[in-house]
Amino acid sequence: MSGDADLPRVLLVEDNEAIRGAFSILLEESGYRVVQAASGAEALHASAAERPHLILLDLGLPDMSGLEVARTLRAREETGSTPIVALTGRALETDAEACMAAGCTDYLTKPIDTEQLLRVLAGHLDG
Amino acid sequence: MIELRLYLHGDDREAERLRELIAGEGFRLVDTPGSDAPKTLLAGFEESLPAGASRETMARRIEEMERTILELRNLDVAKSQFLTNVSHELRTPLTAIVTYGEVLRDGLLGEVNARQREAIESMINSCRQLLSMIEEILMYARTNARAIELQPSEFQLTDVVGHVYDMNASLIQQKSLHYEAKVNGALPQVWADRDKVVHVLGNLIGNAIDFTPHAGTLRVEARRSPENPAWLEVVVEDSGIGIDPRHHEMIFQEFAQVDSSRARMHHGTGLGLAIARKFVQLHGGKIWVESTLGSGSRFFFTLPSVEAGERLGAA
Repeated sequence: MSGDADLPRVLLVEDNEAIRGAFSILLEESGYRVVQAASGAEALHASAAERPHLILLDLGLPDMSGLEVARTLRAREETGSTPIVALTGRALETDAEACMAAGCTDYLTKPIDTEQLLRVLAGHLDG
Repeated sequence: MIELRLYLHGDDREAERLRELIAGEGFRLVDTPGSDAPKTLLAGFEESLPAGASRETMARRIEEMERTILELRNLDVAKSQFLTNVSHELRTPLTAIVTYGEVLRDGLLGEVNARQREAIESMINSCRQLLSMIEEILMYARTNARAIELQPSEFQLTDVVGHVYDMNASLIQQKSLHYEAKVNGALPQVWADRDKVVHVLGNLIGNAIDFTPHAGTLRVEARRSPENPAWLEVVVEDSGIGIDPRHHEMIFQEFAQVDSSRARMHHGTGLGLAIARKFVQLHGGKIWVESTLGSGSRFFFTLPSVEAGERLGAA
């Protein structure tokens, strides 16, 4: 596992274990180091401890609203400018404006197309 | 007369009738033109009153009716909420299956041979179909609960036509369909909820692809409405199997499919056009079809342009 420290770190915030597992494999196999969080509280903790380069944030979390997590991350110095890509699950509830107003950089609607996800990630990490 | 409130913000005629009832006259005027709750209850009210019933009896009956209607409404909201929750719960594991499938297909967990990839691809496609059906049910539940609010903005129909084409490009190519889009660049912008318009057009184009044989034709046109030039009209035309005029109304109804055996070959919950119609109607527009069996179909819908007089729910 040498060299892992050089890989871009992605904080993956997703409460569903299966989806988290699938995305983790996808990201790890695509050259990212993945830090997982299953709740808003875990996300807030991990983001401070791990200093991710990018945060993938599912908006439907059990303990707090995803938008709330985004706002909190934005307000903190260490994640103030970290790209946040929101993952939204519900058709027609996807409020792009609300996502952006809460400080998200981008958003994707589930089911996420893996190629699209990787493209979006690469785009934000290059920039 | 607190008893009147419920009806006063509904049908005015109904309120008028209720006034007559309260006045102790005109009982016999009540009829049951429809089957919706207030009217039926009103008829029940009339029948259940003994001749020469007192004002107190009437007031009590009306209170009971109000309670029943409120209960029914709450039940309806609860039912829609339940559908929404169920759809959401169903989608989560499917999302995981699709993602794992794509991870496997793309060889991220080791090389797969061509046959394996084909099998995985079918699995993913089936999951996506299932997801889009769940999506439709979810959307229907929300439309039905009147929980949908339009978020209108100004945009060019050209953009939506292009976007929907992109979403369907691979299917169109797979069937070698001849695709033609005719959108006059000089058209005014529409004032509409973009996501809803994408959904409506996506549904019509999806149907057109489904029901048009290999190497058929698919044409999309946007133009000013001949009836009212401040409105725009979108036409989706295909060279598919066509629809018997007898079924032109029915296909826009919930769960309707013209031929269930054939419909089963094609995907769909039978909700697609019903949802499309609701979305178009929310914009104040119309949706209809012109077709005969064997000669293709032309679906039309109208949307207000920015030039249309009244603007719906300005954001």
